[in-house]
Amino acid sequence: MLSRVGERIFWLARYLERVENTSRLINVHTSLLMDLPQHRDINWYTLVTIFDAKNDYFDRYDRVNEYDIMHFLLADTSYGGSLVNALFSLRENARTSLDILPETLWEQVNELHLMVKGEMSSIGNRRRRQNLLLAITERCLGIWGIIANHMSRNYAYDFLLVGKYIERADMTSRILEMTSILVADKDSEISKQYEGILWGTLLRALSAQQMYIQHNASTLKADKVLTFLITDTTFPRSLSFAVKALGNYLHYLPRSETVLSLQQDVLNKLQDYKAEDASLAMTHVQMDELQVSLSAINQAIAKNWFYPDYATA
Amino acid sequence: MKEMWRDYDPDGFFDELMYEKHQPRGFSYRLLDYLTSMDEEAFSQRINESEMEMLERGITFTVYSDAGNIDRAWPFDIIPRAIPKSEWQRTEKGLQQRIRALNQFIDDIYNEGSIVKDGLMPADVVYDSKGYRAYCQGMSPSHGVWANICGSDLVRDDTGKLYVLEDNLRVPSGVSYMLENRKTTKRVFPELFRLLDISPVDAYPEQLSRMLRSLRPDVSNPNMVLLTPGVYNSAYYEHAFLAQQAGLTLLEGADLLVGRDNYVYMKTIHGLERVDVIYRRIDDDFIDPEAFRPDSMLGVPGIMRAWRQGKVAIANAPGCGVADDKVIYAYVPAMIRYYLNEEPILDNVPTWLCREPEQLAHVLEHLPELVVKPANESGCYGMLVGPHASEEKVSEFRQLLKQNPNNYIAQPTLKLSVSPTCCDGGIAPRHVDLRPFILSGEDCYVTPGGLTRVALVEGSLVVNSSQGGGSKDTWIVDDRSFMEGQ
Repeated sequence: MLSRVGERIFWLARYLERVENTSRLINVHTSLLMDLPQHRDINWYTLVTIFDAKNDYFDRYDRVNEYDIMHFLLADTSYGGSLVNALFSLRENARTSLDILPETLWEQVNELHLMVKGEMSSIGNRRRRQNLLLAITERCLGIWGIIANHMSRNYAYDFLLVGKYIERADMTSRILEMTSILVADKDSEISKQYEGILWGTLLRALSAQQMYIQHNASTLKADKVLTFLITDTTFPRSLSFAVKALGNYLHYLPRSETVLSLQQDVLNKLQDYKAEDASLAMTHVQMDELQVSLSAINQAIAKNWFYPDYATA
Repeated sequence: MKEMWRDYDPDGFFDELMYEKHQPRGFSYRLLDYLTSMDEEAFSQRINESEMEMLERGITFTVYSDAGNIDRAWPFDIIPRAIPKSEWQRTEKGLQQRIRALNQFIDDIYNEGSIVKDGLMPADVVYDSKGYRAYCQGMSPSHGVWANICGSDLVRDDTGKLYVLEDNLRVPSGVSYMLENRKTTKRVFPELFRLLDISPVDAYPEQLSRMLRSLRPDVSNPNMVLLTPGVYNSAYYEHAFLAQQAGLTLLEGADLLVGRDNYVYMKTIHGLERVDVIYRRIDDDFIDPEAFRPDSMLGVPGIMRAWRQGKVAIANAPGCGVADDKVIYAYVPAMIRYYLNEEPILDNVPTWLCREPEQLAHVLEHLPELVVKPANESGCYGMLVGPHASEEKVSEFRQLLKQNPNNYIAQPTLKLSVSPTCCDGGIAPRHVDLRPFILSGEDCYVTPGGLTRVALVEGSLVVNSSQGGGSKDTWIVDDRSFMEGQ
């Protein structure tokens, strides 16, 4: 497989996962805000924080309101992290990898693009926006279904899955980080009154509610939720599962030792996580560190497979 | 939708599907009967289906314009163009004959040059041609074939006679649209394929792969790639499509390097991997900055060295564009007689060589009626279409012809044939041409039919997709049963 193709496929998967997670996150957040009273700690701006996009946002907008924030996160072509841009990159990477991807995958990506293009003007309307985001989530899952069912287990498949799990771990850690900041402050109004709702929202943002309840059969408590989302190795959207799966697919790739050792370190740290009262407040710091480690793994992948020093024959 | 057809009138042009108003040809009777019996609403629904299909499959081509580069949906007309098989068989033989002669010609001029020595062609016509590459002297690629993929343009005049308008030997494009058009027609009009015996076209990718493999008889399982200029090339969709269908690795110049051993390698996740056959979709000029244009960012430095040493096969072979020259085109019938000792099966469009004084005099006298073409431009750049040109343009060309007669040929303005085409809710005759694709390696393969391009603008003769042209599915219909008087 060409190095360049490997790189495109890897990013294709990252963008696909990002589009899906972003859509779900925004929908879940919208529903959270409908449940909560007007509050200064949790509002539309929380989303901008999750995406680490404070500066980008204020470069473009003066005020903080639903309309501007939705436009920024979903439709703003000048902001690299917006959903339309992720979708554009997804489509370009698919378009430039047509020769190794199943034909139906390209058709689905293209249809997703056409659908979003046609509906983007209606995101100011909450109901239509929610329907659109729901449809995007479902289509993304459908594309993963094509990948799972139409592709040989070859290097292209491995790079797709590597990209998917590294992006998933990154997104999950961002969402976790945000929620832990909000509830860490034990004295704040919000944590007392609405802690249950917040943790429930977090689980829904990761489609984890049902599996969590099956797993814990208990109420929504901070330590239980965090332990589940960080250390569980059976639920596909928990951090340990994602990082472990990342390792499985890295393992199939040639000369993967250096990258694998980085991945193993990260997995060990996650498995060591203890949700005790004292460390609860530190969770967001740990999530920050995790994002840094994931970025280091990404660089190691690029160095190892996409831009190595080719020994000339 | 009988009403839509009531006023249809080819109006003196040769119509591909009809003798004249309301008179279908034998082989197109069932097609037209089917179309006219369909109600208007059902028909427009089929049109919508075909448009959705093309859009969803992302079949696009890029238009480079001032407004930015736009990916447009491929303009497709759902009414097929049909050709009787009996006529096609002869055309196919003619195309094979022609490509054989052209390949022998290219091999000859890069080696002995006997056609020049024997006085059949002036030396300057060959060696001063823009497509001639002195670098290729002394080379002889596998099977003596230089133009492995050829896309000749065929047109009919008002009598229905078929002519070769040009031989596209450099990097002809359009074959993926031929395949996509058929796929769409099959989905939109499945019933028609039961009513008629239509030659399938989908063997092309397999034939392409087989031809490329035959270029390296010395390697048992050659590593084959398609070299594209990249995503921003207007034919990128086709490059990706062909790579996918024929199992070639799609790559760009930056993915390749030439090693110290003069083999070509591609950069993979395992390290370097040797490449044996390159189907290149990059012009000669850009393929190797060491040999041709030093400013080329698309090519691979040293790739010509590797080719000359036989360490990689390149299709089409560098230098084969010399036979694409419009002046050299005029000599193709002579080549067929010279190399093959046969009479041409397919004719050239009658052509005046402006380098010959008497012919130039005739051209200057009849300039407003003629089409004038420069020797080495593709598409319709630098061309004069006399009847459609302003007086200034005609006199500009009068000057050009006097200054540099050697660079030009002239042809009569053909009354190109027409075929029924959907336009603004109605059906009207529109001019068409035909581009079959010919593969030559160890064997020779001709696509059954090819890509029919149609000028969607009333009266226009320009079929290029970049200038308002569209395309149709092309059917080679078995007409034996119809000839027996059904």
